[in-house]
Amino acid sequence: MSETISSMLPPDLLLLLLILIPGAPLVSAIVTAVFGPKLLRCRSHLPCWSALAVSFICSLLVLLALPTAADPNALDVIPPAASSAPDESGEPVAGDGQAADQQELPAIAAVDIQSSSRSTAASPELIVVGPTWLELGQMSVGFDLRVDSISAIMLAMVTGVSLLVALFGSGYMHGDGGYPRFFAAVSGFVFSMCMLVMANNFVLLFFFWEMVGLCSYLLIGFWFHKPSAAAASRKAFVVNRIGDFGLIMAIFLILTRFGSVSFSDVLGNPGMIADLAAADETLLPLICFCLFLGAMGKSAQFPLQVWLPDAMEGPTPVSALIHAATMVTAGIYLVARCTPLFMFAPDVQVLVSATGAITSLIAALIALTQTDLKRVLAYSTVSQLGFMFMALGCGAAGAEVTTPAVTAGMFHLFTHAYFKALLFLAAGSVMHAMGDVIDMRYFSGLRKALPITHWTFLVGAAALAGVPLLAGFWSKDEILAVLGTASSTGNYQSIFRIIRIVATVTALLTAFYTFRAYFMTFWGEERFPVEAGHHPHEATPIMAWPLRILAVCAALIGLAVGPTHQFQTYLQRTVGLKPYEAHFHLDVMVMSAVIAIAGITLAWSFYVVSPAVPARIAGMLAPFYLLSQKKFFLDEILYGIVVAPLKIFGRICVFFDRAVIDCLIDSLATVPASVSGLLKNFQGGVVTSYAGVMWFGAVAAVVVALSLF
Amino acid sequence: MSGSEQLTALLQNNSVAIVSMALWIFGILWMMPGRKVTPSRGVIPGLVLTLTGVAGLLLSFNAVYADVSEEVMFWAFSIIALVCATLMITARNPVYAALFFALATLSTCGLFMLQNAPFLAAATVIVYAGAVIVTFLFVIMLAQQSGAAGYDQTAGRAAPTVLASFVLLGTVSVLVSMAPPEISTVPPVDDSLRLAGAATAGEDAAGTAPGGGASMRIAPVDELLAQEAAAAAAAEANKPEPVVNLLSRATVSHPVGSMKGLGRSLFGDYLFAVELAGTILLIACIGAIAIAPRREEGAL
Amino acid sequence: MEVSPMLDAADGLVRIPAEDLRTLVVGAALFAIGAIGFLTRRNLILLILCGELMLHGVSLSLVTFGKLQNNNEGQAFTIFLLTIAACEAGLALALVLALYRSARSLDVRLWTELREADVALAPIDAPAAVAASSYGEIPKLTPAGAEPAELPRRNKPRK
Repeated sequence: MSETISSMLPPDLLLLLLILIPGAPLVSAIVTAVFGPKLLRCRSHLPCWSALAVSFICSLLVLLALPTAADPNALDVIPPAASSAPDESGEPVAGDGQAADQQELPAIAAVDIQSSSRSTAASPELIVVGPTWLELGQMSVGFDLRVDSISAIMLAMVTGVSLLVALFGSGYMHGDGGYPRFFAAVSGFVFSMCMLVMANNFVLLFFFWEMVGLCSYLLIGFWFHKPSAAAASRKAFVVNRIGDFGLIMAIFLILTRFGSVSFSDVLGNPGMIADLAAADETLLPLICFCLFLGAMGKSAQFPLQVWLPDAMEGPTPVSALIHAATMVTAGIYLVARCTPLFMFAPDVQVLVSATGAITSLIAALIALTQTDLKRVLAYSTVSQLGFMFMALGCGAAGAEVTTPAVTAGMFHLFTHAYFKALLFLAAGSVMHAMGDVIDMRYFSGLRKALPITHWTFLVGAAALAGVPLLAGFWSKDEILAVLGTASSTGNYQSIFRIIRIVATVTALLTAFYTFRAYFMTFWGEERFPVEAGHHPHEATPIMAWPLRILAVCAALIGLAVGPTHQFQTYLQRTVGLKPYEAHFHLDVMVMSAVIAIAGITLAWSFYVVSPAVPARIAGMLAPFYLLSQKKFFLDEILYGIVVAPLKIFGRICVFFDRAVIDCLIDSLATVPASVSGLLKNFQGGVVTSYAGVMWFGAVAAVVVALSLF
Repeated sequence: MSGSEQLTALLQNNSVAIVSMALWIFGILWMMPGRKVTPSRGVIPGLVLTLTGVAGLLLSFNAVYADVSEEVMFWAFSIIALVCATLMITARNPVYAALFFALATLSTCGLFMLQNAPFLAAATVIVYAGAVIVTFLFVIMLAQQSGAAGYDQTAGRAAPTVLASFVLLGTVSVLVSMAPPEISTVPPVDDSLRLAGAATAGEDAAGTAPGGGASMRIAPVDELLAQEAAAAAAAEANKPEPVVNLLSRATVSHPVGSMKGLGRSLFGDYLFAVELAGTILLIACIGAIAIAPRREEGAL
Repeated sequence: MEVSPMLDAADGLVRIPAEDLRTLVVGAALFAIGAIGFLTRRNLILLILCGELMLHGVSLSLVTFGKLQNNNEGQAFTIFLLTIAACEAGLALALVLALYRSARSLDVRLWTELREADVALAPIDAPAAVAASSYGEIPKLTPAGAEPAELPRRNKPRK
C-alpha cells in the first residue's frame, strides 16, 4: 500500500505536505488571532478545524509514504551523484533535479528536499533544508525539517488527537468570551508541536520546546481572571524553566563537542559518538543527564512533576490535548530521539528508569485518594509518563535491549495519547454536564444520565487499566516485558528487578484508582450537584462524536499495531535503532491481565459492593491516607527547600537595593534637581519675562560683536 | 592700541552722546511707573530730562542738512518722535499711550519724507493714523475698565531693561558708524549701465518691466550713444554688474523714492511677494473675524 | 561732508554721511524705546503698541539704508513691513479681546499656563486701587451707536 501512495506523491507534493503539516496550523493561528475577536467570533473554530484536518491528512500521507519515499531508489529525489556527497553544513546540494524543483516552487525557493546519504530503506528520512535562521561562528541553524519514522508517528498522533480535541473544544467552549483566543492558542500549539517533532536540529527543537511551553502557559491561564489559574500557569512556566536550563546546557555541550547541532550530524554519526565517548567518558553521561533534565521538566517527572496537576486549571480540552496526550510526551520523544547518545550513558539510563519508577509509584499513590476527577487523571498521566521513562531506561541492560525499550516507551506514548485524551474529554463532558463541578464527592450514578460519556469513559478506563485486548494492555505489556528482559540480562539486574516490582505494583494501583474514579462517578445512587440544574444534559453531537472516535481508537489501536508488530517494524527504522525480532510474552500478558482484573475487582468491591470499606481503611491508615491526600507534601517540601530560601535571599537583595544602591543614586540625583531648581525660576510663564531673557541675550551678543569688530 | 585704550578713546570721543543718553535714561526712569501702585512723581522733570537727552544725542553728530528747512524739519520730527515714544511707554493710561503712538507715527512719517520716501510717508499715515490707531482706540474703549487699572500703573524690571536697551543703542550706533563700505553710500546706477545689463544678461528684466524699456525708448539719441560708449568702457573695466534685482536699483532717471522706481521694484522684482502679502492680509482678516466675536461655546 | 565725532575715518574708507547716520540712530532709538516698553509694561494693548513702535524704528532704518544704497528695495520692504504690521495688529487685537473676555483684565501676568508647576507667580495686584493719575481724570469714551448688549455695564455714567 505504501508503495502505491508514494508513487502517487511526486517529490514536490511531498515537500508541500511536509510544509503544510506545520504551515496550516500556523496560518490558522494567525488568522484566528487577527480576525477572531472582531470578524470570526463564534465561527473561530472554522480555521482551526480546517487547518488541523489538512495537517492530519498530510501527516497520514507522510506516514504512509515515508518508508518508500525516502528511498533514493524508489523515489528519484536526488541524483545519485549529489546524494553521495551531502554538504555537512546542511546547505542544499545543487543538483539538476533540485534546481528543477526549485523552479517549480518559487515561493519556497530556499527550501529543498533531500534525503541524506545515510537514508536507506532500513532507516528512511526526509529532510527539508529551510532558510538559515541564525549563524553564529561554526553553528548554522536553519529551519530544517526532518521526518523519519519516529517523527511521522508523533505527527500523526499529534495532529489526529488535536483535530478531535478541537472538534470537542468547539462544543465545550461554546459561549466562552475567549472563544477565538482558545482556537488561536490551540492552532499555535499544534504548529509548535509539529515543528518540535519535525525539527532537524537541537536549537530549532529548543525554540519550539519553548513555544509549546508558551502555548501551554497561555492555555493553562486561559481563565486568567481566576487567581488559581493564573498561579497555575505561572507555576507550570517556572517549573518548566528548570528543565529547560538542563536542555540548553545539553545543547551547548553538544555544540562545543560535536561542532554541530543538527540531528543528522550528531545522532546519525555513531562513529563520532563512540569516539567522543572513548575520549571523555564523562561527556556523554553529562549531556544525557542534561537532556533528561529537560525531559523531566516537560514530562513532569519527580521532582518536577508538581506543575502538571495544577495545570488542570485550564479548559478540559486543553488538559486532554496538551497535558495528557501531546506536549508532556515531548520529553519521552526527546529521550527516544537521542537514544544514540543515551546508549553510551547506561548510568543515566538507569537514572531515567529509576526516576520513572519513583514518579509513577508516587503519582499512583497520590491518585488513590484524590477526589477531583481531573486530578486523578492528571496523576495517572504523571504515572504513565513514569512508565514510559521506565521503559526508555531499559537500554542500560545492553545494546540489544535498547530498541525494544524505546519501542515499548514510544508504543505506550502512542496508545496513551488516545485513551488519556479520551478519558479527559469524557471528564470534560461530565464537567460540562455537572455545571463545572468536577469533585467526585458531589455526584455519582451518572451512567443513566450520560450514557455516551459513561461508555466512552469505561473504554478509556479499561484501556488505561490494561484490560486485555485494549490499547493500554498491549503497550503496558511491552513495558513489563522489556523490564523483565532488563532484569534478567545486563549489568543492572538488581536495580531493574526493583523497578519491575514497582511497575507491577503501579499497574495494580492504576487499575484500582482508574476504576475507583469510574465507579464513584458513574455508579451508586444518582446524585447531581446544584450547579448542574435539574436535568444534566448529555454531550452535544459535536462533543459526542470525538468521544466515540477516540473510544474506538482506544479500543482498537493497540490491537491494530500491537500484536501485528506494525508499530515495532515501523519505528525501528528510526536512525539509531536496530531491527529486532518482536515476539509475544505470554507470561507477562497473563500476569498483567490478572493484575488489571484484580485492581478492577478491588475497586468494584470497595466502591460498589460495600462503599463503607474505603472510609474504614482510611481511618485505619490515617497517616498514610493523609500523606496521599496531601500529595506527599511535595509542594510544601519544594517550597521549604527551594522557594523559601530564595525568598529570603530576595528580601536581602531588596534591602540592599533600597538601603545602599537607591540611597546612592538618589543622593546623586539631588544635584541636577537643585541646579534645575535655580534655572526653573526663569520659566514663569509670563510672555514679557521670556522676551526679556531674549532681549538681554541679544544685547550681550551685539556687545560681543562690537568688541570683536 | 589695546582694548582698554580703544574703549577709553571711544568713550572720550562720544562723551556728549553718552551723557545725553544718561540724561534720557533718567528721564525715562523718572516717568516710568514703579513696581507698586504709587502716585506719579510729575511729568515735567522727566520730560525736561528726556528733551535734553534727545537733543544732546542728536547734536553730538555735528551734522546739518544743506537745506535749512530740512534741518529744521529733521529736528522737529526727531524730537517729537523720540519724546512721544518715551511718553508712550511711560503713560499710565493706555488711551494716552495710543495717542502718543499716533504722534510718534506721524513724526516718523515726516522722517520718511526727509529720507526721500514720500509715498511711504503717505502710506504709513493712511495705514496707521487711519486704521491701526483707530482700531487700538476702539479696543481700548471696549476693554478698558473704569479708572486706571493696577497693571497700567506698575511696571517691572524697569532699570535693567532701560540700561540694557541703551547699551544696545550705543553699541549699534558705534557699529553703524564703523560700517564697511559695502553698506555705505553707493552711487545711483547710470542708465547706460542699465542698458548694458539689459543687452547682455537683463533679457528677463526687460521682459518683466515694460516700463523700463519704454523709458529707454524715449531717451534722446545722443544720450543713448553716450550711454553705449560708457557701457563699452564699463565692459572694458571688466566689472560685471550683478543681474539680480536689477529693477530695484535706483537710476538717474528713477531716483530713490520716486513713485516709478518704487513701482518697478514692487511690481517687477517683488511681484510674487506683493501677491503673497495680499493673501496674508486676507488670511489675517479672516482670522481676526474668526477670533474676535463672542460666540457660543463650541461654535465655529 | 563733515565727519561726526562718532566716526573714525582713520582707515580712509568711505563712511555713512553724518546726517543719515543721525537718522539711523533715531531709528535705533525708536527700536530700543519700543523694546523697553514691551519688556516693562503689563497692559496687553500697550505691548502691541510697543511692538508697532519697534517696527517703526526698523522701517526708518530700512528707508535710510535704501537711500544710502540708492536702491528702492528698502522702501519696498517697508511696504511689506507695513502690511505684516497691519495683519499682526488685527490678529493681536482680536486675541486681546478674546483674552479680555475670559479674564476681564488686560494684565499679561494672568496668562502663565506654560510656567513650571512650582514656580512662584509674578504678583498680580488687585485692579481696584485707583491712584491719582498724573493725567487727572481718565477719559471715558462713550460707545458710538447702540451699546453692546453683552458687555455688562460696570460703571454708571458720572454726572
